[in-house]
Amino acid sequence: MKVALTVLLAVLPLAAQDIKMPVGLDRLAAKASEVVDVSLDGPLLQLASRFLSDKDPDEANVKKLVGGLKGVYVKSFTFEDRDQYKETDVEDLRTQLKAPGWSRIVSSRSKRNGDNSEVYLKTDAGQITGLAVIVTEPKELTIVNIIGFIRPEDIRDLGGHFGIPKIDVPGKNDKNDKPGNKNDKKEDNQ
Amino acid sequence: MMDDFEKQIKDALAPKEPSPFFEARVLAAVKRQSREQRASSRMWWASAIAAVLLVISGSAWQYEKNAREEAAGKDAKARLELALKITSVKLQRISQRVEGI
Repeated sequence: MKVALTVLLAVLPLAAQDIKMPVGLDRLAAKASEVVDVSLDGPLLQLASRFLSDKDPDEANVKKLVGGLKGVYVKSFTFEDRDQYKETDVEDLRTQLKAPGWSRIVSSRSKRNGDNSEVYLKTDAGQITGLAVIVTEPKELTIVNIIGFIRPEDIRDLGGHFGIPKIDVPGKNDKNDKPGNKNDKKEDNQ
Repeated sequence: MMDDFEKQIKDALAPKEPSPFFEARVLAAVKRQSREQRASSRMWWASAIAAVLLVISGSAWQYEKNAREEAAGKDAKARLELALKITSVKLQRISQRVEGI
């Protein structure tokens, strides 16, 4: 009984643990011409939220969105030249995203551009509790990890608001589309 | 009888020499009282100055704390904007590609 309790206590924190950014990514910063590293945990998000206005509709919208979040982590590297990083640099992350609870909802690959995009969702009791995005491009690598109650379309639809550029999506005007419906759509724009 | 009474009154009203060190004792008492008053006054001023300093330093600390918090909050907000911008743009592009199939 004692052994079982000890094992349970040891395993519980691991189960609650969220994905970790691969340590090896930091060395890419030296090669990159532009690095964005945003790391906002719960208290920092709360602090940022206090400076979002309730009167401005865009900021109020973001404030509402941020209210359900526990962490926002973004790493983005832009390189002058192609192939400055290897696929293995993000392999550790992909391995973590194979853990129970996580599922890949979108995988888009363009052989023409060499772009590869993946969107993962973490669900718990039918609710989305995490979002991870990996975008690998010849000269750019972007990793996003958002912890908390979030729908990808809520963030996507911020385009055109809050100083975020809007990219036209053909035939797209779907606040109601469910993220779980897109199952591993693959694109091959050769 | 009357003579005795008169004598008693005379004696009572007759000028008497003060006891030895009387003047010194009075002067010492006056000095002590004056010293105590000065000490009490100094204490009051010291307390008042300490209270004013406490209020000023407390206000300064609070002001600095608010300024620090505001700077940290604005920085966190800017970083949040940047993170959401990157994420939104990436998700829009992914959406564009997936919908464009």
